[in-house]
Amino acid sequence: MADITILYSIIGAIVTLFVCFIIGTFLPGVEKKYVHARIQQRIGPPVSSVGIMAPIKFAFKDNLEPHSPAPGLYKALPILSFLCVLLVLLFITPQMYSVALLSSVIAIIGLLKVEEIAYVLMGSLSKSIMSLSMRFPDLVKGAVHSDVVRSHIEDISSKRSLRMISYGSFPLYLSLFVPVVCSGSLYIGGIIKYQQIHGPFIFTTQGILAAFIFFIGYVILLNESPFNIIEAESDVIQGPYMEYISKYRSVIYLTKGLLMFTLAALFTIFFLGIPLNLFSWNILVYIIVALLFTLFMGILSAFTPVFTNRQFLPVVIVSTLIGVLAIVIGILI
Amino acid sequence: MIEEKIPNPNGELIETEISMGTVHPAALEPYRVRFFVEDEIIQEAEITIGVNHRGVERIMEGLPVEKANALTEKICGICSNSHTWNSVLTAEKGLNIDIPNRANYIRVIMGELERLHSHLLYLAHGSEVLGHETFSMRIFYIRETVMDLLDMIGGNRVQYGVSIIGGVRPRCELNEMRILKIETGLDQLESDITKFAERFKADPIVNSRIDGVGYLPPKQARKLAVTGPSLRACGFDYDIRTEMPQYDDFDFEVISLDTCDVKANLLMRVLESFESIKIIRQAIKNLPKGPIADRTWEMIDCDIIQSYIEVPRGICYHSYALENGRIRGSVIRTPSMSNIAAMQYAAIGNHITDGQLCIVQCDPCFTCTDRAFEIIEL
Repeated sequence: MADITILYSIIGAIVTLFVCFIIGTFLPGVEKKYVHARIQQRIGPPVSSVGIMAPIKFAFKDNLEPHSPAPGLYKALPILSFLCVLLVLLFITPQMYSVALLSSVIAIIGLLKVEEIAYVLMGSLSKSIMSLSMRFPDLVKGAVHSDVVRSHIEDISSKRSLRMISYGSFPLYLSLFVPVVCSGSLYIGGIIKYQQIHGPFIFTTQGILAAFIFFIGYVILLNESPFNIIEAESDVIQGPYMEYISKYRSVIYLTKGLLMFTLAALFTIFFLGIPLNLFSWNILVYIIVALLFTLFMGILSAFTPVFTNRQFLPVVIVSTLIGVLAIVIGILI
Repeated sequence: MIEEKIPNPNGELIETEISMGTVHPAALEPYRVRFFVEDEIIQEAEITIGVNHRGVERIMEGLPVEKANALTEKICGICSNSHTWNSVLTAEKGLNIDIPNRANYIRVIMGELERLHSHLLYLAHGSEVLGHETFSMRIFYIRETVMDLLDMIGGNRVQYGVSIIGGVRPRCELNEMRILKIETGLDQLESDITKFAERFKADPIVNSRIDGVGYLPPKQARKLAVTGPSLRACGFDYDIRTEMPQYDDFDFEVISLDTCDVKANLLMRVLESFESIKIIRQAIKNLPKGPIADRTWEMIDCDIIQSYIEVPRGICYHSYALENGRIRGSVIRTPSMSNIAAMQYAAIGNHITDGQLCIVQCDPCFTCTDRAFEIIEL
């Protein structure tokens, strides 16, 4: 009997992951087609082109060797990112609640941090042709700085990713700790149980504040405009993704869609207290939350120019302070 | 406020170099820029052009003047009409041709419509470099009205072929239907640009991205021979249209702003668009009757002739001599030549993300500018 229960749990978790993955692949397309394109009064691409057709197309393209000091590691990083996001999604399925150590805020934050660190490594390991030095002294126009060390534009992106790890992702993680403080549990099972008894966190003062900064953190973690400083087109172009082509780029696109859904799922669990159960109507709530997040993010990015440090830092500082305030309120109430 | 921006002397303090181009998504055309940065702040910039060199002046050498004039239209896709107009003016000056007044009015209308489309393209590109795709798209929609009018008069959206020696082509004649369409188009355009300008000025985030960015001290702007709207954005109210006899009949204001930054450059184009609309309205209201071309002129030899006109980006210079009806010693100098060089200074002290924006603020046209190159011995 116990064996059958374990088997059902494994099947349930796999099916949940698969369905969530499929839903996730549509989200980038929804953002481009139904948010950006509608706001910009244009037709936009087919909804499946960004998250589904593009990965399929890239998967069948020829690969080129990257100009990297460690090509093996460089090529493994998108897969590592994808696995991290997939594991986060796995750990928030009800089947994993019994494995308390994995189904906890600490494990989730740890995995998301690994996903962020991957950007630092991607940037530092990429030495694309975009910034290669010439074979002769660069003396055009009587240049005075002929001996300066030339930096690859991916290096800037790597340094920016490091900054994002150190302070850029504060809002998201702080917002996740608000339900932890209120419920007194680090485990997802405990947080859901608390909300089923006391009502969803979103309807509390600290919950509203935390939900707001969760959204800011959501956009930052997805590297979406206006917080896309690590892949700002005006200077670092594609940043860490510059040299990914073929199936590696395909994995990057899939990771983006999956991360969009996973973060929205985290919000549903931490702020609405609804478990990710594929075999109940709960899944509809997950889909609606994922679509709402996509909609809000699309609106924000359509109406805002890319931030530089001058705009980015105040936003992060204010969001962090709101997060701290939400935690303090959570402790006091 | 910085009085004068001075690059780091011989570079002991320069930390690293960020090289962008020759192909970069923030640049509409290929060029290369080297930013010397310290902690992502630009200490010095070096722009290298020459990738688009096609040797138009060399091709013009020895061509019949009518053919050469048509060729100048291919110099630039944005100010194609301006190049033909100036080239034709050069020939008319040498051959002492007085064109019919109606033809001059049509040329002015085309020149101002082209200024409108160029300024709107600039605003769209500026928004794109800012990372504001929605603004960029909206301006492209607004610009479509101008493109339709240009298409209606010239028969094309890019290469209009309006000016010929002695006047304008017969197909560019403005009948009542066309005048009505221009009037309607201008009303639409004025309303759209006003709405956009209000939205643009009221956006606090956009303003925080452009306020004080790419500051070019007026003293340096003057020293580096900056021209056109980029000069006027540095507080100088100099516009060569006030000295051009072609604009004698028109009443317009020379706009100048004194903040000398990206914001001033963007606003300058918006405000100049209203002046262009004003000029076109005057032209269609007072359009003289009569022929649109004088074909009675005779070809004579003449020494080097020079002509200057105000094109959307500044002062454009054309010169050549005529010998047996053919071009000799053609020289073309576009406004971007001096403007681009000055932007090296404007970029100093700004964040690297704003680097491209600082260069783009002068509305550079590299295809126009690339006239000469130096062969480096390897």
